[in-house]
Amino acid sequence: MPTVSVKWQKKVLDGIEIDVSLPPYVFKAQLYDLTGVPPERQKIMVKGGLLKDDGDWAAIGVKDGQKLMMMGTADEIVKAPEKAIVFAEDLPEEALATNLGYSAGLVNLGNTCYMNSTVQCLKSVPELKSALSNYSLAARSNDVDQTSHMLTVATRELFGELDRSVNAVSPSQFWMVLRKKYPQFSQLQNGMHMQQDAEECWTQLLYTLSQSLKAPTSSEGADAVKALFGVNLQSRLHCQESGEESSETESVYSLKCHISHEVNHLHEGLKHGLKGELEKTSPALGRTALYVKESLIDSLPRYLTVQFVRFFWKRESNQKAKILRKVDYPLVLDIFDLCSEDLRKKLEAPRQKLREEEGKKLGLQTSAKSGSKDSDVKMTDAEASANGSGESSTVNPQEGTSSEKETHMTGIYDLVAVLTHKGRSADSGHYVAWVKQESGKWIQYDDDNPSMQREEDITKLSGGGDWHMAYITMYKARFVSM
Amino acid sequence: MAPVPDPNSVGGGAKRDEATTKIPSKDSKKKDDKKEEDLSEEDLQLKQNLELYVERVQDPNPELQKIALESMRKEIRDSTSSMTSVPKPLKFLRPHYGVLKEFHAKMAESDLKKMLADILSVLALTMSAEGERESLNYRLNGSESDIGSWGHEYVRNLAGEIAKEYTIRQGEESSIEDLMDLVQQIVSFHMKHNAETEAVDLLMDVEDLDLLLEHVDNTNFRRTCNYLTSAAKYLPGPDDMLVLDIAYMIYIKFAEYPNALQIALFLDNMQYVKQVFTSCTDLVKKKQFCYMIARHGMTFELDQEMVANDEDKEALQDIVNNSKLSEGYLTLARDIEVMEAKTPEDIYKAHLLDGRASSGPSVDSARQNLSATFVNAFVNAGFGQDKLMTVPSDSTSGSAGNWLFKNKEHGKTSAVASLGMIQLWDVETGLGHLDKYFHSNDNPVVAGALLGVGIVNCGIKNDCDPAFALLSGYIDNEDSSVRIGAIMGLGIAYAGSQNDQIKIRLSPILNDANAPLDVIAFAALSLGMIYVGSCNEEVAQSIIFALMDRSEAELGEALTRFLPLGLGLLYLGKQESVEATAEVSKTFNEKIRKYCDMTLLSCAYAGTGNVLKVQDLLAQCGEHLVKGDIHQGPAVIGLAMVAMSEELGLDMEIRSLERVLQYGEQNIRRAVPLALGLLCISNPKVTVMDTLSRLSHDTDSEVAMAAIISLGLIGAGTNNARIAGMLRNLSSYYYKDASLLFCVRIAQGFVHMGKGLLTLNPFHSERLLLSPTALAGIVTLLHACLDMKSIILGKYHYVLYFLVLAMQPRMMLTVDQSLKPISVPVRVGQAVDVVGQAGRPKTITGFQTHSTPVLLAAGERAELATEKYIPLSPILEGFVILKENPDYREE
Repeated sequence: MPTVSVKWQKKVLDGIEIDVSLPPYVFKAQLYDLTGVPPERQKIMVKGGLLKDDGDWAAIGVKDGQKLMMMGTADEIVKAPEKAIVFAEDLPEEALATNLGYSAGLVNLGNTCYMNSTVQCLKSVPELKSALSNYSLAARSNDVDQTSHMLTVATRELFGELDRSVNAVSPSQFWMVLRKKYPQFSQLQNGMHMQQDAEECWTQLLYTLSQSLKAPTSSEGADAVKALFGVNLQSRLHCQESGEESSETESVYSLKCHISHEVNHLHEGLKHGLKGELEKTSPALGRTALYVKESLIDSLPRYLTVQFVRFFWKRESNQKAKILRKVDYPLVLDIFDLCSEDLRKKLEAPRQKLREEEGKKLGLQTSAKSGSKDSDVKMTDAEASANGSGESSTVNPQEGTSSEKETHMTGIYDLVAVLTHKGRSADSGHYVAWVKQESGKWIQYDDDNPSMQREEDITKLSGGGDWHMAYITMYKARFVSM
Repeated sequence: MAPVPDPNSVGGGAKRDEATTKIPSKDSKKKDDKKEEDLSEEDLQLKQNLELYVERVQDPNPELQKIALESMRKEIRDSTSSMTSVPKPLKFLRPHYGVLKEFHAKMAESDLKKMLADILSVLALTMSAEGERESLNYRLNGSESDIGSWGHEYVRNLAGEIAKEYTIRQGEESSIEDLMDLVQQIVSFHMKHNAETEAVDLLMDVEDLDLLLEHVDNTNFRRTCNYLTSAAKYLPGPDDMLVLDIAYMIYIKFAEYPNALQIALFLDNMQYVKQVFTSCTDLVKKKQFCYMIARHGMTFELDQEMVANDEDKEALQDIVNNSKLSEGYLTLARDIEVMEAKTPEDIYKAHLLDGRASSGPSVDSARQNLSATFVNAFVNAGFGQDKLMTVPSDSTSGSAGNWLFKNKEHGKTSAVASLGMIQLWDVETGLGHLDKYFHSNDNPVVAGALLGVGIVNCGIKNDCDPAFALLSGYIDNEDSSVRIGAIMGLGIAYAGSQNDQIKIRLSPILNDANAPLDVIAFAALSLGMIYVGSCNEEVAQSIIFALMDRSEAELGEALTRFLPLGLGLLYLGKQESVEATAEVSKTFNEKIRKYCDMTLLSCAYAGTGNVLKVQDLLAQCGEHLVKGDIHQGPAVIGLAMVAMSEELGLDMEIRSLERVLQYGEQNIRRAVPLALGLLCISNPKVTVMDTLSRLSHDTDSEVAMAAIISLGLIGAGTNNARIAGMLRNLSSYYYKDASLLFCVRIAQGFVHMGKGLLTLNPFHSERLLLSPTALAGIVTLLHACLDMKSIILGKYHYVLYFLVLAMQPRMMLTVDQSLKPISVPVRVGQAVDVVGQAGRPKTITGFQTHSTPVLLAAGERAELATEKYIPLSPILEGFVILKENPDYREE
């Protein structure tokens, strides 16, 4: 009887006797005792192949002291999970879109980047989206004309489509309606539609939406768009010649950042924009006189839109020329000092609270960088609760609705969208939208091609060269709950 | 004295043989006039003396003649020791050269005539006109006295003239005996005076290297052989083999067996390898030989003649079989403290991407999971543990089961096979892990288990032949994915073994009319691997028939390219042996003919640096294509294969690829990154890195994919931070494109292969030896990358595992005589080329001292930093056995 050693995993089982008169199965049973591997799971390697249960030892020719190798475990055999795993590749397109974390791009229909970028910027306002989704034919008030209605519906449809799709969406329907409503956008040049001013598109579109979303059914009769974007300005007119003073209030959808030689920063531009001179008939003097107009912000919007007045009409060349001057803008904007006295008083308490909260955070976390980010999260939280409380109608936080913990404006704003222009005149060049997602990531929507961007690259769009420069920026208010 | 210049030097300036010093003699007349006035007292005396001798030589009185000649000789000899400027006596004798020459011609045969001839021979050193070889002529007519007595410069000049004379006489087919006598003298002189390189050069010129054997001695044989082996790389045709033969013989003569073995391996000469074993009597040294053979990846059976003792034989065979490789590798890993398993996320390092990368998708993507499987396999290769596949499963739905089923269909094959990669070289444990998958009823899983068995056995031989025993039963399975798993597994496990049993099983598949194309393609490839570089007729026949049997449509399939590749591998590095088969390939269907041609040519001349073949291949790349031709891809890869052998050729190739890239057509541009990847494999050169980085953003996605994969290849196993950064940025750049992202992930896996302990470089032993199996593995992957979409991005992604053939630890592990690892201090630095340098130059520069085991990067060399031990191999790579130095004294 030959004695063999069997190598099994890292072990060597020495001195196993083989009874050559019995079939190999008996040998396997021997090994079963030693290793616990059932015979049918054993694979024993001898020269030239595997040992078969009914093989003939003589033919295999085992020698005394030969080393055999055994493979086999008593492990359980793997079974496929009962519920098959679903792979992204198997999913329909819509499901993929939600996976991506941001929505699709828009196809350029021939110089329509001004429109695409405007749509992408406005789409980033969730409140606008929800207001649109509540809009229906039934809610249509009589004073809204047919084309405005169509444009509103087209906007709603387009926003919806963008959210559902993975691939770029073609906004042809929206474009058609837009041109119908505002024929100035159908200007042709060499048989092609001309590049247009994005600011004009932005203003017109918002105006139309504000008209149609006036929500007659809502008890407040509030204008959803105005609530979101409207800024109330309190202006004081002062005539130096006569010493007359008058005040007026007006409501605008965007602040203007005037760019002159002294302006290096958005804040300076805003201040500049709120102060102006105009000629007006003076009742006292009985002729036109020079008035100084100084405006202050009386009420804050949820979304503060700032337009950089980069284009001016150049008479000699008969075109809208562009000011390339570099004007920095911050990621966090504080407009406290542009506010009126009343508003300032209102803002003081929330601001104090916000400072405390931030101080607490910084105290806990030494990493200074996380400060702004954390408050972002905080803000979305606060907002979520605000939205939760007044689902059906858009909440106007200033008026403070029924929520237990009231949220208050702080006069501090975070940058959420930038519309940039590249090129030398408003009617040429290229418009691109840069939008911050809820996840905190920035996406550049260059027509049909959305791509991720880093936050530090966003502030680099401040001009001073031929690179993209900010034309319209949109800030979102930071709230504090008290 | 009339300063009439010698007629020889009129008009021509004084350009002499390159060995002589230049003499400024433009408008020599003027200068001579001036000089005469400037001469110092001493020089004037010397000049007058010499003039006197010249006159006396022409005296009819032989006594006077003799005295004059002897004094002249004395003057010359006294001054020829240095050659930084033209020696004075020679200068002063210049005007008389013509006179003496004439007189010599008139003289009757006598000793004196010979003596004069000697002197003329020396004078001719500076005087003779270009191409006249007067120095040699007079030398042959001279007294044949000691050649060295005239100084070094004279000998060098003579050697140069001999080489020229030799070629002329070869042309005329006249006798060269007198020359050879002189050669003998010169060689002996050179070899004694540290001028081995010149001796070798001369002997190469006169095609009689055998002479060298007589002249080498203990002091100069190393330098001689070193020069011979490096010169071999630049020699054409059979000459290089001849040179290496001589080097081998010298090494054997001086019992420098490890070097002899190296050359034997380079020549792929089994006879020589055996001779090394039989000549050496030291068992420990033989162990070292076995380590060297094992690293080369050669299958080698020791026999009674080589080792008498059975027990010893077993121990040696164990080493050759690589059964200790896994242990050594893990020793290294533990020493460097990288045992902790890494997850693919550890490699991707998405957190560094700062908001650019999309956060992990909530739904599993099969493609992403597949790439994670590969990354996991490559990164944890050989460590025996990972965090996806080997995690112990607590129940049937445990995490191990989970990850497997997070791969879709054919992805499961790669997932199970990755176990083989993780357990690489550790056959026993590996088989234990794979066992349970054999019993699955899911075909891709079984296929993966089979492939895994092949991978785990890669480079390891075992008496029980577990791979064959386990896989052979599945070769004829009815499911073709299972068949491919088994066939590919065999190909990987037995690469280079020339195993007949497997041939008998696989060959019939090739000519089986019912076998699907993919099975046939993989069978051809596996046979090519198993018989790599063997020129096996039978296998070649089978593949040729298989190619001829393919229908037009099948020839258009992407996988068909593996048939010519399998054929090419048979002739890997075998140069002319391919010619017969290349003739046959001309009869193939035109769809595959050129592809086959290029593949055969490039494989046959792989690693030879043959410039003519490089030109042939370049010419192919210059052609403008008829639509649908695909042969330029392999031609471009072939360029890299041929040129990759030595540094100069390699750099040249990188430059010419840049041109090809600029002017080539699209299908060439797709192959260029791959060629660059092969040239710098595991050797991240910055220039190549930049080129590839640029190409990785190419508008043609296939160029980009190839560039990305190649970025991985050049950084393979290096953990190179720059490439890792590039790939990270690419992963965010391409995050939307699943195919490109897959390539980026794979490349990331390559860069961190074996956590930075592995190399893919097929060259080892200080870049001298080329492991054929390793090259076969890489080339197969590259050919697969020529059609990325249908192969790697399709369902044959497991061809990536062919790289396992090239994976080797880039370590230096020192062991004592009983093969236990010991730690000694070593200096590791950039290798310096010391060929042909005098004395004992430093072989490394910018070194750092570590203690073994250490990692060696590309182009690095190690040397022991202690006198306490003597390494048994001069090449400190892989396993090195150390012997205690008997002369060592502790200080």
